[in-house]
Amino acid sequence: MKRRWAMVIDMDLCTGCGACVVACVAENNTPTVGESEAGKGRLMQWIRVVRYFRKEEHDETRAIFVATPCMHCEKAPCEIVCPVYATYHDEDDHVNAMVYNRCIGTRYCGNNCPYSVRVFNWWDYKREKPLDEQLNPDLTVRSRGVMEKCSYCIQRIRRGKETALMEGRPIRDGEVLPACAQTCPPGAIRFGDLNDPESAVTRMMKDPRRFRLMEHLGTEPSTVYLKKMRAQGR
Amino acid sequence: MLNRRGFLKIGGATAFAALFGGCERLPKTLVPFVVPPENYVLGESLWYASVCRQCPAGCGIVVRNSEGRAKKIEGNPLHPVNRGKLCARGQAGLQALYHPERLGTPLKLDGPRGSGKFREIPWEEALRFLMTGLSSVRAEAPTALLMLTDPMRGHRNLVSARFMKAFGSPHRVAWDPFGQDAHLSANEAVYGVRDLPEHDLAGTRYLLSFSGDFLEAGVSPVHFGHAYGRMRAARPTVRGKFVHFGPRLSMTAASADAFLPVAPGTEGFVALGIAHVMVREKLTPAAAAAGGLWNAGLKEFTPAAAGETTGVSAADIEAVAREFGSNQPGVAMAGDAAASCTNGFFNLSAVGLLNLLAGNVGKPGGISFPNRLAAFASFGAEAKLLLPAAESGYPAVREAVERMGQGAFRMALLSGATNPAFTLPPSFKFEEALLKVPMIVSFASFLDETTSLSDLVLPTPTYLEEWGDDIPPAGHGGEAITLGQPVVTPFRDTRSMPDVLIAAAKELGGPAAAALPWGSFREYLEKAYAGRGIDLVEAHRNGGIFPEKASAQRSTPKAGSPALPKAAEAAFAGDPARYPLLLHVYPSVALSDGRGANLPWLQELPDPIATAVWRNWVEVGPKTAAALALSDGDGVTVSSPFGSLQAFVFVHPAIAEGVAAMPLGQGHSRYGKYAADRGGNPYALLPASVESSTKAPARHATRVSLVKTRMKGALVRTVHPEGQWLYENIL
Repeated sequence: MKRRWAMVIDMDLCTGCGACVVACVAENNTPTVGESEAGKGRLMQWIRVVRYFRKEEHDETRAIFVATPCMHCEKAPCEIVCPVYATYHDEDDHVNAMVYNRCIGTRYCGNNCPYSVRVFNWWDYKREKPLDEQLNPDLTVRSRGVMEKCSYCIQRIRRGKETALMEGRPIRDGEVLPACAQTCPPGAIRFGDLNDPESAVTRMMKDPRRFRLMEHLGTEPSTVYLKKMRAQGR
Repeated sequence: MLNRRGFLKIGGATAFAALFGGCERLPKTLVPFVVPPENYVLGESLWYASVCRQCPAGCGIVVRNSEGRAKKIEGNPLHPVNRGKLCARGQAGLQALYHPERLGTPLKLDGPRGSGKFREIPWEEALRFLMTGLSSVRAEAPTALLMLTDPMRGHRNLVSARFMKAFGSPHRVAWDPFGQDAHLSANEAVYGVRDLPEHDLAGTRYLLSFSGDFLEAGVSPVHFGHAYGRMRAARPTVRGKFVHFGPRLSMTAASADAFLPVAPGTEGFVALGIAHVMVREKLTPAAAAAGGLWNAGLKEFTPAAAGETTGVSAADIEAVAREFGSNQPGVAMAGDAAASCTNGFFNLSAVGLLNLLAGNVGKPGGISFPNRLAAFASFGAEAKLLLPAAESGYPAVREAVERMGQGAFRMALLSGATNPAFTLPPSFKFEEALLKVPMIVSFASFLDETTSLSDLVLPTPTYLEEWGDDIPPAGHGGEAITLGQPVVTPFRDTRSMPDVLIAAAKELGGPAAAALPWGSFREYLEKAYAGRGIDLVEAHRNGGIFPEKASAQRSTPKAGSPALPKAAEAAFAGDPARYPLLLHVYPSVALSDGRGANLPWLQELPDPIATAVWRNWVEVGPKTAAALALSDGDGVTVSSPFGSLQAFVFVHPAIAEGVAAMPLGQGHSRYGKYAADRGGNPYALLPASVESSTKAPARHATRVSLVKTRMKGALVRTVHPEGQWLYENIL
């Protein structure tokens, strides 16, 4: 059965705490790069919480947090530029997937991604022993010269599908959760299947607050946002 | 029964063993797969429930164990504190477990005292060394033993308490730089209950926060984070409103509908201004009945007067008061910056007064007080030792340090994450005083500033490898018991502090052995929970014991008309001409009070507001920066009358002017290569001031000056100061 996985991030609930970032790092074997590499803009985290300062009425400055994982665009600008089909559209799950072994490191995809969510392994980042004992056995450790990015925790999607198949039932809504959505304390990140008309994300897609990042580019992201609200009065 | 495959495996193993006779690695790698541990299936994960100890909130966790290794920590969905959620610090606990610099063998001093140079020794020698010390102190002067820890809860605290009592020393001191002394005293004065309240954020319609950074620091960030989400979104027609007063736009303040900057230490005056409007306009029944307050002096605290002291406009105070009065149930809460001023007690009492005037004490959507002692009455006379201790222990630490300096102690036992050599103000001269104790023994997993002063370091398991129990300070009416269990086989040669104390007591004999009569801490835990109608295996599977309904009565707040708190202004050390700015320090979102600084994942987690990694910074407002001719990214020397350090400037667009703010947590001189030498330690700028009525530490009590300085490197930030994108463009 085909699925259309989607993520809804409610900016009204996001507190910017960064739990999603560390959960993702722990789940997806993302390396730590150190201060000097970070200074070159080479942080490897697959989700980042971007902070915007914004002047509002009364000349007040507000901070707005935009948790930014891969958008898993239906019309993904990264896919069409890959010369080796390392990044492609998975038609079964409607996710934007990566085959690391195909990647030859042209970085065209990262260049063409308007959301800057792709990260490149500039080095073989060493994990000092025994920190490597923590590595998740469900997915690989990428080597130098390979592009990587948020996969919607594809290993968890696979496991969820297998479990449901073995038990002979459909996947329940909320059964498959990426690490970020699972840990988010206020529950700002929701994840589910848009092909399931009863799922929470299908319902949230109809929210009038819904918007997509850089919607004018026509990339049709699967990760959508609900606008931050602000109560009236003081 | 032995099948063919099993036979071949054993045959292979035997052949191997014959070839490499005496090689130690063989049984470790081969035998476990011939006789696999129970439930062990290659490629299948096991999940164990336990308790998080990355901060004192005590969230429930479940840990994924794959091939005998812990792979991922998740929140325990059954746990009433965090409901399956977890913060960044909790997620990073795995790096403490697998930290390359974790201690795996006992260490004995091998160099001058305090040098931090050690050599590894076997456990037998370490325990002999410990016992020699303990026996001689016990025989000659038992009161010369000091135990300095972080606040402990549950039965590990009971073991320590019993040990010290039986040993004959009253000097058991617990230090927590973020203790809640002022909260406790204010609650006693305002509500008549000396305890931490439960704030029902999820059910409230209007949340007033006075520097209450509850989403990032404080008693239980994940508990409040989850409740905050429910306050905003779980009710179909109500979205709770949140207004924040505080010196800077913190992560929590950024989530507020309105952030109103106030001068540091004036939170209480804002609260009194709001109370003034509530009583004047009789906005709630309780406020209408509080005429006594008005005549007792509340009429002087007009919004205009409050505006002058605090910097908030009178119109805003009036508007907030009316909204708060008409949107009940509402709740007012205060946080560390309001509490840790010299007038913290006043600030918190004034905030408490708002809850009384709103009439929401003990009601859903308001604040209520659990009756923990009644809930744990079945544990007998020692029940109090199991409960969360919210005090900072500052007066006791101060006294202990003085006595150390006088040479009153012959032996010190240290443990805990609060790291006094790092977190105490420099004027304590903690290091100097501690080194006057002839024998220092630490129970630790890492060599931080405090433990590296020891003569003997006994390696302890991390919280993922040990048995334990915990009673969290927030959530579930104070009645939840979290059970901890090893989620992996301890892979270093460690022993937990309660286990060592139990063994030491046995060796000491006499009353000590009688007070701690168990074989191990685990055995004690099992005995303690036996006979209570609890299926312990099931409880471990669930991660604890969470009664469905509150069995004990709630503490009843005192009745009668509220009293007006005595107004007090915050005092700041330093000459305003020489030190023009007020220093505001706050626990870092990632590193907490500094305990997280050795974990690379947390070092590389961008700060929510400054978006900086691996280093700290100093925040000033745009006008203040302009007046000092500073721009974003400049290096400065931050000096207070007590110390100085260098940091990069971050021009914060929403911070009260005349304030310099710094995150705590960075600036370690030891604590491993990931933590050490990353900027200066802001604790070293702090005075030894105390909150005037509770004697808790007053961190917000000094002035500082900023002087432009050339510094190497730059502050690494993920968001460019000019903006990577414009917010309008991403919409």
